[in-house]
Amino acid sequence: MVSNFSILFQKEWRENVRNFKILWIPLVFLLFGITEPLTNYYLPQILNAVGNMPEGTVFPFPEFTPEQIVMSTVSQYQFIGMLVITLGFAGIISRERKNGTATFLYVRPISYTSYVYSKLSIMCILVVGSVILGLLANLYYTNVLFGAVDVGAFVGFLGTYIVWLLFVVSIVLFTSAAFSTAIASIISLALVLFVQFIDALLGAYWTISPWKIPMYAGYVLNGSVDKKPFIWSLIITLLAIVLLIFGAVYFAKRNISKTKI
Amino acid sequence: MDFESIPWMLILPLVVIQFILMLVAIIDLIRVSNTNGPKWLWALIIVLGNLIGPIIYFIIGRRNE
Repeated sequence: MVSNFSILFQKEWRENVRNFKILWIPLVFLLFGITEPLTNYYLPQILNAVGNMPEGTVFPFPEFTPEQIVMSTVSQYQFIGMLVITLGFAGIISRERKNGTATFLYVRPISYTSYVYSKLSIMCILVVGSVILGLLANLYYTNVLFGAVDVGAFVGFLGTYIVWLLFVVSIVLFTSAAFSTAIASIISLALVLFVQFIDALLGAYWTISPWKIPMYAGYVLNGSVDKKPFIWSLIITLLAIVLLIFGAVYFAKRNISKTKI
Repeated sequence: MDFESIPWMLILPLVVIQFILMLVAIIDLIRVSNTNGPKWLWALIIVLGNLIGPIIYFIIGRRNE
């Protein structure tokens, strides 16, 4: 079982080196982590240089706190980052079903659990690793340009945001196990981006929801989090992650046995 | 803003990362056999698309099947 997992994991690793995901996904998160503080800091100069403003125009630019800069980076991640994760990994299981790679599972004594876990691990390493890298670069730039962020609060914020990332990873894994690549991308996009939008729109009526985790991460960073709904949201989200992963194993097994060999 | 006052130590990493991302996208484009849509168009998007060009290529242009 353990050796099965390590063989499958090595296969996943090689594949993601070959298709450059190991390179471009961290670079994208790094890029947005750096651009956000830079553009916010130099916005007045940028506008002056390109905006054709009359001499002496003064804008009342808001003074950003370091925490606001980190959170505006997170809102970039919440859109472009989530797009990259959902569309980039939508085929992670469904693709192998389509091109026949998955049928090797059918003829060899390999457990579906280690198959799904190998996918889960590579996704976690890539997604969580990239976001940590990007946010650390962001922390450095924010520190230089806007001032220090409390380290304890930042660690709490990062931990909370990682729970959200694991939720997104398990959604993508589940949909890819259950549906074809095209349908999986649509459903996971809807579950990650659209539901998040709805939650932001109507979410004043409830306080406990996995889609509120990024918002709570921001509150943790500001040191103003309301403990009770926050803890309950975390528990619900972790539970959902476990269910989605079990679901992914179940559907991976069921769908492979349905494919023709 | 004159040339001297630009903080190159802060801007340089951004330029380097963006260049590497573009390079990776171009190498990938040369290596893959098929893309969604014509290859020359993706080459243009990657090179001229600035920050977002290579990202769009990787999530839409690359055929992952």
